Amino acid sequence: MPIYRFIFFSAKHRFAHASNLLPRFGSSKRIQSCGYTKSAKNNYYKKPTGHPVVNVETQASHSSGAYFIPPILLGFGGLLAFLHYNDERRAVKIGKDSYTGSDTAVAPIIGGPFTLVNSENQIVNEQDFLGNWVLLYFGYTSSPDIGPDQVRIMAKVIDTLEAKKNLKVLPVFVTIDPQRDTPAQLRAYLKEFDPRIVGLGGPVSAVRQMAQEYRVYFKKVEEEGDDYLVESSHSMYLIDPKMKVVRCFGVEYNAEQLSKEILKELKKHQVNA
Amino acid sequence: MSLEAYASAKRDEIHTDVLLQARQACYKARDAFYSCLEKHSDKKPTEIGSVGLLYPTECKPSREDYVKNCRVSWVKHFDRQYCKTKRTQRLLDDKETRRGV
Repeated sequence: MPIYRFIFFSAKHRFAHASNLLPRFGSSKRIQSCGYTKSAKNNYYKKPTGHPVVNVETQASHSSGAYFIPPILLGFGGLLAFLHYNDERRAVKIGKDSYTGSDTAVAPIIGGPFTLVNSENQIVNEQDFLGNWVLLYFGYTSSPDIGPDQVRIMAKVIDTLEAKKNLKVLPVFVTIDPQRDTPAQLRAYLKEFDPRIVGLGGPVSAVRQMAQEYRVYFKKVEEEGDDYLVESSHSMYLIDPKMKVVRCFGVEYNAEQLSKEILKELKKHQVNA
Repeated sequence: MSLEAYASAKRDEIHTDVLLQARQACYKARDAFYSCLEKHSDKKPTEIGSVGLLYPTECKPSREDYVKNCRVSWVKHFDRQYCKTKRTQRLLDDKETRRGV
C-alpha cells in the first residue's frame, strides 16, 4: 500500500505540471487539475505526518528494487549450474579409453571401385588388390622431376620394407596422363625403377573416375600440341587389404620417413585386427 | 571408348625421351647450363630463353645443348623454377640494402 501512495503522489505532481504547460486542453482537464492541486495542497498540509510515510516509501523503494535481486541471482546461478553440468556431460573423462569407433569417422571416405588396364594390357579392377597392402601413386611418365623422384622413393620404400621387415606392400602407379601413357610406355618406364610396380592406365573416363574417387587433382598445363605437363598433387595413398585408404603422404616424405610411417600403420592395423 | 578398344590401339609407341637415360642427359645439360649462368652472372644477359629467363651470350652453346636434350615443356618448367629460386635468393640477400621494405 505505501508503494501505491508513492506512485500516485508522483503522478499527481506530473499532471499538475502538465496542466500548466498545456492550456489548450478542455475545461475538464482544468477541473481535474484544480482537483489535483487541491489535493496536493491537502497533502502539503499533511506534510509533517508525511515524513514517516516518505521514510516508509523510501524503504519500500529499496525493497521494491531488492525484490528483484534474489530471483536474478537465482536465475544466473541456475544458468551457471546448467552450463557446468553440460560441460561435464560432454567432456571425455581423463583416463577413459577413446572408443575406436571414432577412428573411421575422422577422415572423409576416400577410394572406391575402379577398372583400369595394366601394363600387360589386362583389365584390372580393385578386387584384384584385396588382401594386399597397396601403396598407390598417381603420376605420369612425362614428369620432369617430381614424378621420377616419387617413383624412386616408392621403389626404395618397398625394398626397405621387404628386406628389413619382411612386409609385402604392393606398389601401384596410376597414370593421370592416359592419352600419352600407353601400357607399353608404362611398362618401359616402370621397369627402370622396379619390376614389382604395377602400372595402370586406361581410357580417360576410367582414370578420371578413379581420380575423383581418390580426390586427386590433375590438370594439363603448358600445352603445346602433344607436349604438356600435368599438374597434380603428387601424393601417395596407403591402402589396407580391405581396399580402404588408411593414409595419404605428400612429397615432403623421403624414403626413410615413409617406410617408418608405413611400418607404424601396419603395426597399428595388426593390433586392431 | 571401351577398354578393349583402348588396349588394342596405340600399343607400340613409346616416348623414349622421358625414360631414364634421356632424363639423365637432360638433367646434365640443364645443370651445365645453369652453372654457366652462375659463372657468368656478372655479364649482361642479352639472350632470352623461355618464360623470361635471360642469359648472356657466353652461355649460348650450353643453352642449345640443354634445349636439344630436354622437352620444351621441361625446359620451361626448369626455367621457371630457376627464376623462382633466384628471386627468393635475391629477396633474402637484399635484406640489408633495402631498408623499410
